[in-house]
Amino acid sequence: MQDLKLLHEAVLTGDAKSAKAITEKALAEGVEPLKLVQDYMMPAMSEVGRRFECNEYFVPELLLAARAMKGALELIRPLLTASGAKPTARVALGTVKGDLHDIGKNLVAAMLEGGGYEVIDLGVNVTPEQFVAAVKEKGANIVAMSALLTTTMPAMKTTMEALQSAGVRHQVKVLIGGAPITQKYADDIGADGFSESAAGAVAIAKKVMA
Amino acid sequence: MARNCFNRFVLASTRPVAMPIAVYPGLALTGAKVCDVVTNPQAQFDAQVALHDRYRTPFVLSAMDLSAEAEAFGCTLHLSETEIPTVTGRLVASLEQAQKLSVPQPGDKRTAVYLETVRRLRRLPEKPLVFGGCIGPFSLAARLVGVSEAMEMTVTEPDLMHLLLEKCTAFLTAYLRAFRQAGADGVVMAEPAAGLLSPRSLSQLSSAYIKSIGTAMADGHFAIILHNCAAKVLHLPAMLETGLHSFHFGAPMDLVAALGKVPADVVVCGNLDPSGVFVQSSPAEITARVMELMKATAARRNFVLSSGCDVPPATPLDNLDAFYLALKIMPAPRR
Repeated sequence: MQDLKLLHEAVLTGDAKSAKAITEKALAEGVEPLKLVQDYMMPAMSEVGRRFECNEYFVPELLLAARAMKGALELIRPLLTASGAKPTARVALGTVKGDLHDIGKNLVAAMLEGGGYEVIDLGVNVTPEQFVAAVKEKGANIVAMSALLTTTMPAMKTTMEALQSAGVRHQVKVLIGGAPITQKYADDIGADGFSESAAGAVAIAKKVMA
Repeated sequence: MARNCFNRFVLASTRPVAMPIAVYPGLALTGAKVCDVVTNPQAQFDAQVALHDRYRTPFVLSAMDLSAEAEAFGCTLHLSETEIPTVTGRLVASLEQAQKLSVPQPGDKRTAVYLETVRRLRRLPEKPLVFGGCIGPFSLAARLVGVSEAMEMTVTEPDLMHLLLEKCTAFLTAYLRAFRQAGADGVVMAEPAAGLLSPRSLSQLSSAYIKSIGTAMADGHFAIILHNCAAKVLHLPAMLETGLHSFHFGAPMDLVAALGKVPADVVVCGNLDPSGVFVQSSPAEITARVMELMKATAARRNFVLSSGCDVPPATPLDNLDAFYLALKIMPAPRR
């Protein structure tokens, strides 16, 4: 039996190749898939978030750690689905219509996946209709919107209205973030949560789902 | 002795100095659209001159558009009437593509718009200091490979990144020379992506290349004002390695701490939030924020009040009015 602490270390250091290899071997040895996620990967990403918050890690290290976890999760997710295990919540995440910037969205995706959330990454330039479809067809519990531009911020309000019109607003919590976004703007459009940082997004998601 | 014209002006001023990075708000006065400003030098000139006339600014700028240089390299863009263009997709995804990438010439594609705008601004009879706008080498390289991808490639593909950085530096050095030939007194060089790196990576992947550009341009007059709206205090020593003397920071920078760490002849500009303050606040709130920041920086002579990044087109003119009005009632900087 291999030392599973190495999986924690591989995610923490962004070593995708090792994370995948250790996961493959552990699964072959009969280790519970959920144990790999909950006892090794999530704590590793939690530590990544802590290091990011206190300026020990920066964006490259965070993205590489997320990639390492994602590669390992791809092996585990089908097994979790087959066993009926549920994610903490399912998040439909995207940069709003008209906005093609993705780094903020990618950072939030990394942190949410590390926090045990299933992330449906809708990409950039996501229309209100695509967010609505993600709620209706994929069962998202959280809609998370990102915008970098003041000119695209209003698409967040339009999406809120689309969720309302489609009759699904009550089914989801809406989180927003991005450089021009403020708590005041989040309050103005009726979003359930706002975070100034990617790492903070996990805490906000946890809070709104409590 | 200040090393460039911008610092000389700031350090000699008997009044507090402001230089928000603002061209697009002038559209409210000219009636043009963002797409006009980024494609037509006359529209860009008109927007800047409209603000210059309204506020009697000692500086004029060409617009901040961090897609023009990437487009000159061959990147595709998303264009719209109301937004500054955005780079789409990835031009370079492998070392082989990076090796084959040609370095464009200043004036290729829309870089000609910015050079021509500077040429026209130079002819203003009041002779304000004229600054062009350009991207920094790391931020340009990041646009060529994709910004998210670039972050990972700083660790996984350092050779590719350094090769791109050499090509970006070659282009930017030539572009800055072209700005100088067009009559610019300097440039505001935007290097935001480097602020997402560790200080060590910023030093290796940004500052080292900017230092080479700065050395090539040093003539005792031409100013390179290095803008980094993502940098924090912990990045400051690595940014000072550029050897530059003028810096412009965004909201994450603790300006008071920064002013305490730089030599007295280094000018620090910043950092009212462009969206949260300039767009979303009321004029009264702007007045309060200006006074708060000026008080916090103790009217240091080497401080220039500014926006933390490009002031968005949607900024109400009442808010810019309040910004400049508040500055007028501030006391003289400390000697």
